Amino acid sequence: MTSLMDHQARETVGYSFSESTAGVKQHGFYPYTDNGGSTLGITGSDFAILAGDTRSTSGYNINSRMVPKVFKIGGDDETGEGANIILSVVGFAADGTALKERLDTVVKMYKYQHGKPMSVSACAQRLSTILYQKRFFPYYVHAILAGLDEEGKGALYSYDPVGSYEREQCRAAGAAASLIMPFLDNQVNFKNQYIPGSGEGHALVAKKPEPLPLETVKGLVRDAFTSAVERHIEVGDNLQMVIITKAGIEEVYHPLKKD
Amino acid sequence: MDKIVAQYSRPSHQNEFYSEQEQQDLTETLPPLSLKFALPPVANPSAFLRAMTDDHSNPSCPIKLAHGTTTLAFRFQGGIIVCTDSRATAGNWIASQTVKKVIPVSRLSRGEDKPSNEPTPGLLGTMAGGAADCQYWLRYLSQQCTLHEIRHKRRITVAAASKILANLTYSYKGYGLSMGTMLAGVRTTASFLPSNQVGLELTSTAFIGNPQEGPALYYIDSDGTRLPGNLFCVGSGQTFAYGVLDANYRYDLTEEEALALGRRAILAAMHRDAYSGGFINLYHVKEEGWVHHGFDDMNPIFWKTKLESGEFSNVTSEL
Amino acid sequence: MRGPTIIKAEDDKTRQLNKNTLMAFSGEAGDTVQFAEFIQANVQLYSMRNDTELSPAAVANFVRGELARSLRSRSPYTVNLLLGGMDPTTEQPHLYWIDYLASLAPVPYAAHGYAQYYCLSLLDKHHNPNIDLEQGMKLLGMCTDELKRRLPIDYKGVLVKIITKDGVKEVDFDNDKIVRSA
Repeated sequence: MTSLMDHQARETVGYSFSESTAGVKQHGFYPYTDNGGSTLGITGSDFAILAGDTRSTSGYNINSRMVPKVFKIGGDDETGEGANIILSVVGFAADGTALKERLDTVVKMYKYQHGKPMSVSACAQRLSTILYQKRFFPYYVHAILAGLDEEGKGALYSYDPVGSYEREQCRAAGAAASLIMPFLDNQVNFKNQYIPGSGEGHALVAKKPEPLPLETVKGLVRDAFTSAVERHIEVGDNLQMVIITKAGIEEVYHPLKKD
Repeated sequence: MDKIVAQYSRPSHQNEFYSEQEQQDLTETLPPLSLKFALPPVANPSAFLRAMTDDHSNPSCPIKLAHGTTTLAFRFQGGIIVCTDSRATAGNWIASQTVKKVIPVSRLSRGEDKPSNEPTPGLLGTMAGGAADCQYWLRYLSQQCTLHEIRHKRRITVAAASKILANLTYSYKGYGLSMGTMLAGVRTTASFLPSNQVGLELTSTAFIGNPQEGPALYYIDSDGTRLPGNLFCVGSGQTFAYGVLDANYRYDLTEEEALALGRRAILAAMHRDAYSGGFINLYHVKEEGWVHHGFDDMNPIFWKTKLESGEFSNVTSEL
Repeated sequence: MRGPTIIKAEDDKTRQLNKNTLMAFSGEAGDTVQFAEFIQANVQLYSMRNDTELSPAAVANFVRGELARSLRSRSPYTVNLLLGGMDPTTEQPHLYWIDYLASLAPVPYAAHGYAQYYCLSLLDKHHNPNIDLEQGMKLLGMCTDELKRRLPIDYKGVLVKIITKDGVKEVDFDNDKIVRSA
C-alpha cells in the first residue's frame, strides 16, 4: 500500500506537450464573470422592441460605457442590413458574443441553403438547441430573441441559460430584471389593474391586456431604464433601442446617467 | 528540467483555430441528430455543473435555472386528466408565471397548441424539474415518435415512448439532468394510420401485439425511473396535490368530476407551495386524442372556490 | 425512536395543562416531555394560586413566552407544539400552532413535520368551522389514511383526544385499517 502511495506522489517527468499539468491542477476553474447590465423586450401588434443599456462592468469597475447588447441576426456584418431577427444577450459578455456569432452563422447558412430568410419561430427553436448543446457547460447568458412572425405580429422569445424558452409579450433580463419586470407586468400586461367602478372587492373586473402602440412602448422602455439606472449600479451610460417593423430595423441610442 | 521545457515548449497557439469538424458543426443549420454536448474541460463535469447551477445546494450559484412545479395526472374511466401550474422559479425569483408545462409529444405537425375543441391525436408530456431539460428531451422524444410512425406506419405506444425517454435519462444519469415527467396517451386500434396516408398498405393487423393498450400513464424521471400507474403528482407541490387527490380519487369518476378534481388538486398545491402558482393548465386525454380545457388564472378560481363552497377556512376574505 | 428502533409504539405525546387545554408535542427526545411537564406544572400552579383556570389564549401566550426565553438560553428546548383548548367563558374552541423558534399562530387546523405536506391541502378542502364531532373524526380519518398511503415510514397509528367544554377525553381510533393506494 505504501509503495503505491509513493508512486502516486512521486513527481512525474514531463515531456514536451504532456497534459500532466491540466490533469492534476483542478482547483478554481471558474470560466465565468458577470458583466452586468440589463435588457428588455416588448412586442406590439406590428412591431417588436429590444433594448439594453450599454454599460459593461466587472465587479465594481466600469470597463466600458459603450458595449451594445442587442444584435441584428443574419444581416450584413458591418451594417446589419437584410436582417429580420434581433437578439439581446446579457450576463457574461464573452458567452453572449459567442452565442450571437453562432446564431448569426446559422441564420446566414439557412438563407444560403434554403434561399429564403429563416422564420422567427424556427430561429427561436434553433437558438434553444444551440443553448442546450452546452447544457453541461452552459452559456452564462439570458437571451431574448425578437422579430415579426408569419402574420406580421411582433414576436418575442425569452430563454434561460440552457435553452428553455417561451413566447411572451414582454420580458426583462439581466441585473435589473427584478426592478423592471414588475413594472412591465403592470404597464404592459395590466397585472393587478382593474376597471374602475366595475364592482366591489372580488367582483372587480380585471383590465384586459391589449397590444400597445409603438410610441407608448418606447416611452415605457425609456422609463424602465431611467428608473433602473437610479437604483442599480450595473445599469447606466446609454440606452440602445432596436425596433423591428415591417419597414425594417431601426436602431436608436439615448443617453442615460453616467454615474 | 524536462518539466520546465514541457511547460514552455507547447506551441502558444495550439488551440487557436477550430478543427474542420468544429467548423462544420458551427455552420450546420439543422441541430445535430447525434447527441453531442459540450463538456467543461475539467476532470469532473457534473461537479462543475452542480457548483455553477445548483441553487439548492449553493444558493449563490451564478447560473440559476428555472425550477419548481406542481404537475399531476391520473387515469379514470373516461381517459386521463393532466393538470399543471404555470410558475417557473430561479431561486426566489419568479422567472415566469405563464409556462406551458404540458407538452404535446409525437406528431410534430399536430403538436401545435391551436385553440380547438377537436381532440388532437398524440401523447402528452408534463414538465417538472429543469425547464430546458424537459422541453429539449420531450422534443427529442417527439422526433423519435414521429420517426417511429414513419418507419412502422402506426403510432407509438405510450409504453414504448416512455421506455425511450427512460433509457435516455438513464444513459445521462449522474450528469446532472433534472426532470420528472409523466407521459399520458391512449392507444387504440384507431391509432393505425389510414393506409392512404402512408405509402404502403397494412395487410393485416394480426401480427401486431397488444393493439389495445388503452389509456396509459407513465412516470419517468432523471434517475432513470419508469413506472406505469393510475395516479402521479410530480414537483415541489406534489404532496399537497396528493392530499386532495387521494382523498377524492375513484376510477369511476365522471368526466366532469375528474376535471374538477384535477383543477382542485393543483389549486391546493398552488395555495400551500410557494414554488407553484400562476395559471391552471388542464388537459383531458381521450380515446380520440387530447382536449385542452383551459389555461386559467388561479386567483379568481381560488376566491370562487372559497366563497362558494366555504373551503380554505384558514383564509379570511375580509380584513 | 432511538436510532432505527421504535422503543414504544403507543406513547402519549400529549399533556393536559388544565381542565380544558391540551398540548401535543414533538421534537428532540427528552426536551419534549421535560418542557411539556414544566408548562403543565406552571399552568396548574397558576390555577391553584389564583383559583381560576387560564384560557387557552393565555396558556398559548405563556408557552410562547417560555419557548422564546428558552431559545435565548444556553440550551434551548427543541419542541414543536400544537395547543388546543376550549375557552371556559366564551365556550369557543381554539387551536394554536407553535414551533421551537417560538412562532405562535392561531389556526383552524394544523400539523407539524411531514404531515403538514399531505394534510394541510386536504384540510384546506374539507374543513369548515361549522362541522360537528362526527364529521371532524371523519376528516381526521382522511388525514391518517393519506399518511398511511404516502409516508415512507409507518408511524404506528395515532392517539386521539377530544377537547370539549366538559374536559379532555381519549377516544378509540381504528389504527389497523388497511389503506390501498390508487
